[in-house]
Amino acid sequence: MLGEVVEISLRSLYVSSTATLIGLAWSLPLAYMLASSRSRAARLAVTAANALVSVPTVVVGLALYMALSRRGPLGFTGLLYTPQAIALGESLLITPLLVSLFHEVFSEYRSRYWELAVTLGATQGQAAILVAREALPRLLTATLIGFGRAIGELGVALMVGGNIKGYTRVITTAIALEVSKGEFETAIVLGAVLLSLVVGVVAAARILNRVMGADIG
Amino acid sequence: MWYSYDGRRDALAGVSLDLKPGGLALLGPNGSGKTTLLKVLGLIYRPGRGKVYVNGIDYWSSRRSVQLRLRRRVVYVHETPVLLRGTVLYNVAYGLRLRGVGEDEARSTAMEWLERLGISHLAGKRGGLSAGEAQMVAMARALALAPAVLLLDEPLSNLDFEKRRIALRVLREYAERGTVVVATHDHLAAATLATTAAILEGGRIRSMGSVEELLGVKVDLGAR
Repeated sequence: MLGEVVEISLRSLYVSSTATLIGLAWSLPLAYMLASSRSRAARLAVTAANALVSVPTVVVGLALYMALSRRGPLGFTGLLYTPQAIALGESLLITPLLVSLFHEVFSEYRSRYWELAVTLGATQGQAAILVAREALPRLLTATLIGFGRAIGELGVALMVGGNIKGYTRVITTAIALEVSKGEFETAIVLGAVLLSLVVGVVAAARILNRVMGADIG
Repeated sequence: MWYSYDGRRDALAGVSLDLKPGGLALLGPNGSGKTTLLKVLGLIYRPGRGKVYVNGIDYWSSRRSVQLRLRRRVVYVHETPVLLRGTVLYNVAYGLRLRGVGEDEARSTAMEWLERLGISHLAGKRGGLSAGEAQMVAMARALALAPAVLLLDEPLSNLDFEKRRIALRVLREYAERGTVVVATHDHLAAATLATTAAILEGGRIRSMGSVEELLGVKVDLGAR
């Protein structure tokens, strides 16, 4: 049992880390652009992101399942029932959360540090780097919150992963399966592992904030 | 120049100003437009109407590379200091590093200004600065850039007697060589740093003249 628990846990970590990285890749620049813009479209996009933060995981799972199924628009990719599909689904799931959190951070830090960067003679690029550097502890915290949401979700992993043993089975789908079989012992062990990972992430976020977040003033 | 934050009420309503070498004090009640004017002069805010010329060049109509060159001649110091994560020395050297100055040279220039402002003992400090210390650090960071125009927003508001004395001396020396614009409620500081004063009210310059004329204050140079 131990070997299987380790294998499932490692797969969960891999899939959710990949999902977080993918989500990060598009959420970070998008949130920065939204925070830099005063347009109506930007405000609407932020409102939409905020509204979609708590979108049910099964809704994302269903939408992606339909897109990836053989007759769907992305059926040709053959991604359905693969770990990549779970990572993609989880990245879509956490995108509104990341955009919303990053936008809040960038809005706050941009108003504070952009003027400083401009007056110290920074180029546009240098100013953006300055804002991101100063906001780094908060951005990392937001990223870890996104990771926590990804690793703890069930709907997407079940619908587009299929819970295939040794291939797409992750902690949450394994717990659901073990409970349905009446194997509570294994389910509890897996639950404890998941809880440890999530608590570990929260603890890491707090430590990071304390170590990196010290303001000089 | 006109500037509005919300498109309805003008924070600046037709201010015309020609900055010359020396000290200029911006005086006036809260909300009169002093900080807004400083930020327009600091090339941070673009006026809704009107133009800002730097060395005869229309700043907001020029190319980005030209804007950057001009912007680097002007430095604005916030009333509430905004400092970066890192040591005090890193903060003071930061602007120089942005301008491509080598690390050693930037650090030594930064250290020089920390010494001149009597806060070199803070160089390695990362946090826990008092409001006055943070204000002195922000001032050192601006002075290290040797700007042609230095814009200061209530630069002495958090300083104790000793720091205030040092800051006034250093800033006055600077005003003798370059252009210093200081927005303040502190008439003594205005009289020490500036020879000319402008009194703002409702986003307009109500009167402008010599400090002595407007404030009735004469500061004995020997006592400065």
